[in-house]
Amino acid sequence: MSDDVIWHCIRHNHCSFMAKIETGIFCRNPYNATGICNRSSCPLANSRYATIRDHDGVFYLYMKTAERAHLPKKLWERVKLPRNYEKAMEIINKHLEFWPKLLVHKIKQRLTKMTQYRIRMRRLQLKVREKIMTVPRKKTQRDLRRLDKAEKAAQLDKSIESELKERLRKGVYGEIYNFPFKQFDTILDMEKDDLAPEIEEEEEGEIEYVEGDDIEMGDMDDMEDFEGFGDEDDILLDKMVTQYSSANCQSNLHKNIK
Amino acid sequence: MATTARPLVSVKALDGDMATDAAGVPMPHVMKAPIRPDVITFVHRLVSCNSRQPYAVSRKAGHQTSAESWGTGRAVSRIPRVGGGGTHRAGQGAFGNMCRGGRMFAPTRIWRKWHRRVNVRLRRVAVASALAATAVPAIVTARGHRIESVPEFPLVVSDSAEGIEKTAQAIKVLKQLGAYADAEKAKQSVGIRPGKGKMRNRRYINRKGPLIVYGTEGSKIVKAFRNLPGVDVANVERLNLLDLAPGGHLGRFVIWTESAFKKLDEVYGSFEASSSKKKGFVLPRPKMTNADLGRLINSDEVQSVVKPINKEVKRREARKNPLKNAAAVLKLNPYFGTARRMAVLAEAARVKARKEKINSKRTKLSEEASKIKAAGKAWYQTMISDSDYTEFDVFSKWLGVSQ
Repeated sequence: MSDDVIWHCIRHNHCSFMAKIETGIFCRNPYNATGICNRSSCPLANSRYATIRDHDGVFYLYMKTAERAHLPKKLWERVKLPRNYEKAMEIINKHLEFWPKLLVHKIKQRLTKMTQYRIRMRRLQLKVREKIMTVPRKKTQRDLRRLDKAEKAAQLDKSIESELKERLRKGVYGEIYNFPFKQFDTILDMEKDDLAPEIEEEEEGEIEYVEGDDIEMGDMDDMEDFEGFGDEDDILLDKMVTQYSSANCQSNLHKNIK
Repeated sequence: MATTARPLVSVKALDGDMATDAAGVPMPHVMKAPIRPDVITFVHRLVSCNSRQPYAVSRKAGHQTSAESWGTGRAVSRIPRVGGGGTHRAGQGAFGNMCRGGRMFAPTRIWRKWHRRVNVRLRRVAVASALAATAVPAIVTARGHRIESVPEFPLVVSDSAEGIEKTAQAIKVLKQLGAYADAEKAKQSVGIRPGKGKMRNRRYINRKGPLIVYGTEGSKIVKAFRNLPGVDVANVERLNLLDLAPGGHLGRFVIWTESAFKKLDEVYGSFEASSSKKKGFVLPRPKMTNADLGRLINSDEVQSVVKPINKEVKRREARKNPLKNAAAVLKLNPYFGTARRMAVLAEAARVKARKEKINSKRTKLSEEASKIKAAGKAWYQTMISDSDYTEFDVFSKWLGVSQ
């Protein structure tokens, strides 16, 4: 099948090596020379393709041609590249002499980048690098929770208070408060025994004078008897009503207290 | 197109086979069918519907009450309410999709159309296309199968494979063929499905491994490969699109037995001859026999007839207004040039003639009189310049005027 058909199937249908990220479309195929998902960079859609791959610091030039497309096991031809950058370039030129210029250029760029990072990696190996050890999140969260609980359980305020009091009693602070400690202690002991509060509220024997309108009438039945008296002396009636009501109220108050 | 020599596919011999010098099996015509991902997506989607089981809510759900609306005038909404009393349910809304315990909106029914019909020819074309895709190693790799160690594509195995009975032997065979990597990938990918499918008898999922296609009916091979996760077995005469393009994605890794491979021509026919098994079915023709556009454009036949590239870009000329621009008028009216010239000359002549006429009619001043006049004019000029305050520096500063 022609490359164009294959590319159409791959790009517009499905390719398992395609990785779409917000910054662009990438190819995770290990034989891709640039890493980008592209018509010219796809190792599957180009029957004639070449890459450089790295095995344990040794670079190999991989080439494939259309003649071997139906033999997956023998598809990629491998050439070991020397460590020297210039010599490697020469070898690439020799093998890819009649190949399309674009591909050769990309491969050379790849070789350059790989040599650079190889140098960097080897330099880094000589240095001591700190290794980041990860702690499972469960553990850290658990410890934090336990920290909180321990703090609460310790009741620091209370213990500090009692400790300070003890020190005060012993006289560590040297008479900053002038307490007669012994008398203070005896009174405290006495108070523990008695328990009853001495102050009482007294209401008996006191007459409270309140305005008639503000009072809640507890017994509505009483008021009904006086409805017939409305024709006679109103003033007298009012007085009686107020007196009676106040008396009523007093009795009510007494009732409430008892 | 049919007269091109068909490539030969060699048959892999398994261990224990007698060495044969067979040249190989010619590639069946199906493998040259046009690859049509659009047809396959379409058919796959429809055909996937055909194994569905209906689902629906109960017919009676939400209606098993004798609720009636209270109507207006009771300061409540008019939704039907459950009658009776003495229970929480009394007076609650019923029947509506918005009510608690009511029927849902548009209750799902079992008479929904679950299955889809696809034209017979379309189905066959899809299968032929999918088969063609299985012969292209690039597409199979793109689908995700691990075929790096497979010696040849398409992979055809001798018929002794159809006699395999034990799964252990089946695994050995896969390892010999270099196909075990794919089967292993499928085995290691077994996991529990996320979602509710777990509790609906679809608990485990795994990747697809190779598809083994055999030719003779009743082969033991089915049982041998049956238990391997991800590995499917199929008879040539009953190839399923859902197996050849799982998920609608082309290019399943297929392992053929020799008899199956030979039978393909019978089952699917060729581009001219119709198939013997599928009545009247002829393989679909591609729209282009050679789809390699790059090759076509750069071929000698095309390049020799093509015009050279024109790099210069011709842009439109800006339109000039003939009422204002003389050159524009000249383009439209060639006589304009001469007419204009003649008019100009005529005007100049006229002016001149007029001047002379006036001069001739004017009384000529005597010489003395003209001298006096000239002197008077000169004096006037000096008077103006004398009274020109701006000449004096002080005044110019005061006036703020510059000469």
